[in-house]
Amino acid sequence: MHSIIERIEKEIASWTPEAGAEEVGIVRGSGDGIAEIDGLSKAVMSEMVLFDPTFDRTLAEALKDPLPIYGLILNLEEDGVRAVILGDSAKIYEGMLVRRMNRLLSIPVGEELVGRVVNPLGEPVDGKGPVKATEMRPIEREAYGVIDRSSVNAPLHTGIKAVDAMIPIGRGQRELIIGDRGTGKTSIAIDTIINQKNEPVSTRPICIYVAIGQKESKTAKLVAELSARGAMEYSIIVTAPASAPAALQFLAPFAGAAIGEYFMEQGRDALVVYDDLSKQAVAYRQLSLLLRRPPGREAYPGDIFYLHSRLLERAAKLSKEKGGGSLTALPIIETQEGDVSAYIPTNVISITDGQIYLEANLFNKGQRPAINVGISVSRVGSSAQTKAMKKVAGKIKLELAQFRELEAFMQFSSDLDAETKKRIDAGRRMTDVLNQSRGAPMPFEMEAAIIFAATNGYLDSFRPEEIRAIEAKLQEYLYREAGGILMAIKESKEIREGTEKDLRDKLDAFVSRNQSSDD
Amino acid sequence: MIDNYTRLLEAAAEVEDKDASDAAVTKLILHLKSSGRLKMLPQIARELRKVAARRHSFRPFVEVAHLKEAPAALRAANDAGIPAAHASVNHALIHGWRARGRGVLIDRSAKRALLSLYQNITA
Repeated sequence: MHSIIERIEKEIASWTPEAGAEEVGIVRGSGDGIAEIDGLSKAVMSEMVLFDPTFDRTLAEALKDPLPIYGLILNLEEDGVRAVILGDSAKIYEGMLVRRMNRLLSIPVGEELVGRVVNPLGEPVDGKGPVKATEMRPIEREAYGVIDRSSVNAPLHTGIKAVDAMIPIGRGQRELIIGDRGTGKTSIAIDTIINQKNEPVSTRPICIYVAIGQKESKTAKLVAELSARGAMEYSIIVTAPASAPAALQFLAPFAGAAIGEYFMEQGRDALVVYDDLSKQAVAYRQLSLLLRRPPGREAYPGDIFYLHSRLLERAAKLSKEKGGGSLTALPIIETQEGDVSAYIPTNVISITDGQIYLEANLFNKGQRPAINVGISVSRVGSSAQTKAMKKVAGKIKLELAQFRELEAFMQFSSDLDAETKKRIDAGRRMTDVLNQSRGAPMPFEMEAAIIFAATNGYLDSFRPEEIRAIEAKLQEYLYREAGGILMAIKESKEIREGTEKDLRDKLDAFVSRNQSSDD
Repeated sequence: MIDNYTRLLEAAAEVEDKDASDAAVTKLILHLKSSGRLKMLPQIARELRKVAARRHSFRPFVEVAHLKEAPAALRAANDAGIPAAHASVNHALIHGWRARGRGVLIDRSAKRALLSLYQNITA
């Protein structure tokens, strides 16, 4: 035993460690998740630092808790820097050594993340072991420029009839989902993710859902739902729950964008849902005030617009030379009392390529999704809409807008002429056809067939109140009897003359069968 | 203006000589009196304490695991731009030395190497 100890001591004595000089700072003070650090004069913005808890301890003490705590530099000052603490801020003490990491905040990216739930630093939180990704990417980076992009030309089907028909979304687009709390914003995003299961594997986008400031129970429920529907096979969840430090809530969308960009640069399609950017803005406001940056409107810092514009600008459809991949963004904004003219909603509306506006009134009336088609718009998606959908959904938006006006007028007058009554009945029927419950997205060919039936008068012989039941029957009937027609629409992405004739025959048969059975 | 004020404070904090510092304080008080800003004196004292604390935390120091390593460690630290007059013994380093000064750390201790090894293995 004695000889072993002697041998070890000899080995240690003869060993010469090699280490270069590194720039270090010292914690001057810490509070509210922000550390004031003296020194680090050469540090750069958004650089990662490492709070070293082992420096002042013996090796035995250090081995008990050797994990470093990371920080992110957000303020460069005359004598030092201020950094947000990306971990347990209770472990930071005055005089603690801080090392520069000489790299910007980065997260692991790659296929290994698919099916996983991670935090904004890329650390797994699903208990399935470490993420074995080898590639790291900075979470903040400049968006692609004009030359590297191409116009949006492929549709991203949500599986929601109202959206795909009237507010189509293209791959590479940024479409805002906006509305009060409890109006079904998250449902639209989740249905869109679930619906990607209907896409062929080769064109199926990788879906990234970024949960910002949400209850962990809600995220757990969502993960369970996606798993049960088989959607976790192509999904990644980035979560910064309400209990996470404000810094992580602020970083989460950027982490989601970095993960999505990886797939986009592989020439694949990706979809990222930011749920929601209002909470990210609040987290950033908290950080900015703690960093003593001057407050502006609603106490948000001056660069709050840039925060969202630089994030959403990263959504893109790349040119063929760059691989042709795309990153579609579905940011979500929560409004208060339907006020879309507040600071953050107007900012994000102006940045995005359109918005889906959900209204509490419509929701309470039972309309699902509760989309106000009057002020919902998609600025670039229509050019990516399939021919089939364009053909069947051409006038729906106009007809529904007319119906809404007549509906308001109807409240003042009970005596209506036949033409007006016909239009109102048609509007009611169409509203009911577009009604779709949560968690029931449908393939685009089925959407096209149903909307075809509605716009071509096949449902006119039914009373408006029976439309929902009839639509369910029609779906079942089409799956059972018109599989070939649906397949033809799916493959050609249009309703050709022959297919249209076959579809009409089937619809005629359906109408006569159901009318006779009702009678 | 802020720069000049900071430089003045830093210069005052650096004065080590007792007579010189007394003279500097007297001059400062006279200046404050003449400009009607004597109320600022406690604030100036607070700032000076901060500057002094900052300077203290960044003073050059060299630590060695064993006293016999001190001459070599001091020489190496000096060559690396950390001029320290003496080295203190810190057995927690196990072997080797470390030096810190002017915002730079050179850690050539066995403790650091063993910790890195542990972190690499367990990561």
